[in-house]
Amino acid sequence: MDLGLFAQYTMNGLMLGMMYALVAVGFTLFFGVLDVIKFSHGDVLTVGSFTALATFVGLSALGLHSNWLALLAMLVVATLAMAFLGMLIARYLVMPLRSAPPLNTLLITLMLGTVLRECVRLFYPQGANPKPFPALLPRASVDIGEFNLRLDNVLMLSAGVLVIVGLQYLLNRTKLGLAIRAVAQDEETARTMGINFTGIVLITFALGSGLAAFAGVMNGLYYNEINFGIGLYLGVIGFAAAIIGGLGSIYGAILGGFLFAGLQTVGTVLLPFASAYKDVFAFAVVIAIMAWRPTGLIREKISERV
Amino acid sequence: MTDSNSKMPAGMAPGLIALGLATAYLVALLGAEKQAVIISLLVLGIGAVVGAAWLGLFDRVSRSFADHEDALGGSAIVAALALAAYFHEDHFVLLLVVTVLLTSVATLGLNVQFGYAGVLNFAGASFFGVGAYTSAVLNAYTSVPHLIVLPIGGVIAALIGSMLLLPVLRTRGHYAAVVTIAFALLFKTFLEVNDVLGGPQGMQVKGMNILGWSFNDNIEAGGITISFYMGYFLLSLALLIAAFVLVRRLERSWIGLNLDALRLDETAASCFGLDITRWKITAFLIGNFLIGIAGALFGMVGGFVGPNNYTFADSLILVSILLLGGIGNPWGLVVATFIVVVVPEKLQTIQEYRFLLYALMVIGVLLFRPEGLLPRPVRRYFPRWRP
Amino acid sequence: MNPLLQARGLMRRFGGVVALDGLDLDVAANEILGLIGPNGSGKTTFFNVVTGIYGADAGTVTFGGADITRAPSRAVYKAGIARTFQRSRLSLPLSIFDNIMIGNHQHLNQGLWFNLMRRKAFKREFEENYAAARALVEVFEPAMADRLFEPVAGLPMIDRRRIEICRALISAPKLLLLDEPSAGMTHEETAELMDDILLVRERNKNLTIIIVEHEMGVIERITDRCVVLNFGRKIADGPYREVAADPQVQEAYLGVA
Repeated sequence: MDLGLFAQYTMNGLMLGMMYALVAVGFTLFFGVLDVIKFSHGDVLTVGSFTALATFVGLSALGLHSNWLALLAMLVVATLAMAFLGMLIARYLVMPLRSAPPLNTLLITLMLGTVLRECVRLFYPQGANPKPFPALLPRASVDIGEFNLRLDNVLMLSAGVLVIVGLQYLLNRTKLGLAIRAVAQDEETARTMGINFTGIVLITFALGSGLAAFAGVMNGLYYNEINFGIGLYLGVIGFAAAIIGGLGSIYGAILGGFLFAGLQTVGTVLLPFASAYKDVFAFAVVIAIMAWRPTGLIREKISERV
Repeated sequence: MTDSNSKMPAGMAPGLIALGLATAYLVALLGAEKQAVIISLLVLGIGAVVGAAWLGLFDRVSRSFADHEDALGGSAIVAALALAAYFHEDHFVLLLVVTVLLTSVATLGLNVQFGYAGVLNFAGASFFGVGAYTSAVLNAYTSVPHLIVLPIGGVIAALIGSMLLLPVLRTRGHYAAVVTIAFALLFKTFLEVNDVLGGPQGMQVKGMNILGWSFNDNIEAGGITISFYMGYFLLSLALLIAAFVLVRRLERSWIGLNLDALRLDETAASCFGLDITRWKITAFLIGNFLIGIAGALFGMVGGFVGPNNYTFADSLILVSILLLGGIGNPWGLVVATFIVVVVPEKLQTIQEYRFLLYALMVIGVLLFRPEGLLPRPVRRYFPRWRP
Repeated sequence: MNPLLQARGLMRRFGGVVALDGLDLDVAANEILGLIGPNGSGKTTFFNVVTGIYGADAGTVTFGGADITRAPSRAVYKAGIARTFQRSRLSLPLSIFDNIMIGNHQHLNQGLWFNLMRRKAFKREFEENYAAARALVEVFEPAMADRLFEPVAGLPMIDRRRIEICRALISAPKLLLLDEPSAGMTHEETAELMDDILLVRERNKNLTIIIVEHEMGVIERITDRCVVLNFGRKIADGPYREVAADPQVQEAYLGVA
């Protein structure tokens, strides 16, 4: 394989990895503060991308034709709306079940995911069909040998990197981040230190869900098409990535996301039948990795008290 | 689980009355054609259920069934036969009832995995599909007797399931959830892109044929025409009875106790000698075997298998049945299967919304009545036994 | 005489915390040993390492001469060690009988065919076990013996503790590990429970018991010997009166370094 093609695949892999990583980070954040697995996370991403699309349609109808402004508005609306949705889910579905078996939380969020997915399918105009997503980023590109470097991809990747760096800064350098980490470390101690536990949980869910919305917009811009099932797809892969990285670890989740994308890209290149079986292969990788290291590459700490 | 008073056996009357009312109601509902009548019946049904739950009647019915299981189980079989005799000409109703029976078998399997052992399986419909595709392939390309095809379907579903889950079942935590979701999504996409199994168009399945008796022909007897679904009905009923007895005995044995113990506290269970992995795998295999058999027969009943019949959403419906009926209570499962399968078929307007409705319903159940409609009673190894 | 249970140089760390720091401990057959020490001194960790819930980082544990250091929990149970937990770990939705039977796993026929198909034989085994469970419960609380098929969830703490001890005793272990049986109970209830334990021991002289306890009254009353742990090490060993008078022990409890 020549270098140009290799670069092309690398670029695709990086884009995929960025999206997986953003989703995985959400799973890991929720697990960190509440020790719960929130299966509706992927479908929040779907709702986020459809919210962005609706915002675009609305703005176009109002006569706004600036791509940049539209994109900005879409990001802001989708991120804030999903952050709010995430808080609602945490407050009214996840937190009330804290004393119930963890299985119930898993089930209730799974069913909520179905509700969100079905709502998009049934109530978004023609939601059952794939919807075109506007290409709002500049489509300029540079040819380097066989490698076609597209400006929009570069922009998206950079934005993703910025978001992750920002999240790192927030978690490691701010008081809010300290509080989130304290709650993740030990709820009781955090409470005695005067941290508002409920508040921090809600903010964490808002943060994770906002990230999902961002990933949803990115996914739409990258493929120029969205459908009601993308969240389920990205959710399963993102969750597997979070597990690989050792649930609870931010770096692990990011690493897991890129690892996944890497495997998937390599698989597509090496296996002749892989393009037709692209999704089959992706899920097979999920299953294989879970079989190989069900508790993650970084071993989970045994926290059970006996 | 609710407390069943160990001193006083519950009467048989609540169970018999409930069974009679349910049968009469079903005959009315299944026979109703006009949407207005159906809606009224459903409203009546919901009212009756809510009222009965509010008055605590369900607990009494549940206890009555627990204490007089053999007699009431026999009555339920008679009721099912009477129902089928009443609708002997009606293809649609019989097909619907067969669907309920086979879905019940599948949820009984899911109940062993999830209700007893606590192993999550979100690919129930996929394993059902594995069974159905098995009978499609075997009936088309081999001359394996059709009755043998059924257990083969079960074995293949169990084999594929164990290949997927063996590594995961060795660990703690609910990782099986992710693996099964991934498999559910994989299974559907695989079927769609795979030409050998018919791709998106699916495959025809040859009907059941036992020693020259083709199940796909109507039966003419003494001037009465009996729908060809009657054969499938009887076979499905037999299968459900067998599955029910098996699951019941399993629960009322040391194995049922093992499964409960490991579900509730793995650490404590292993401190008392329980081999967690062994029992999780046993439960998973038994469950998938039942799901696979039911799927294999359902494939022949429908005469067709396709990727869209066995999606992740369908798997979630199976889980919904389990949660609605009352995890661990086989009677509750059969009741819940009737509700979940029959209602959208009769009320066409909600057919499209069924995934949404059932998901909402499960959220409600989990928040307000996590033990389900018919809560599981405390285990009695021999219901009539008194110290 | 060889000790029944012997720990040598047992080490267990949790991150930077050393929970067991080269612990040496001998338990003679048929004795009641009190294991005491301040919070975090490694008592429960010792139980968890012995029963295979945690692995040991270094050192060995032998039981009746056999090395059980790396044995999984279920092998430790089969060898004849049963335990209770500091925070009661009963299966609350299950009946009293079921909870006790969980403890009798190794004496129950676990064959699939036996359990599903040979229901008559199963019934006989069930009846035998019912009689055994009932007899055991009667020692502790005769009133409870008539209610074996009621769920544990509705019972008060003392009854739950009793069931936990019955669950540990039903398989007739050689060694019983009691992890703070008085936790969550009043003084009177604790005294009652100790009477029961002494009664059980009276009937079965071959039972060895290690008891972790904070209630010094309990320790004084029922133990033959005491071992005091501090920071995962043994700091005193002897009859209760002796160790209680030991200045090192007093220092450990008062927290004066």
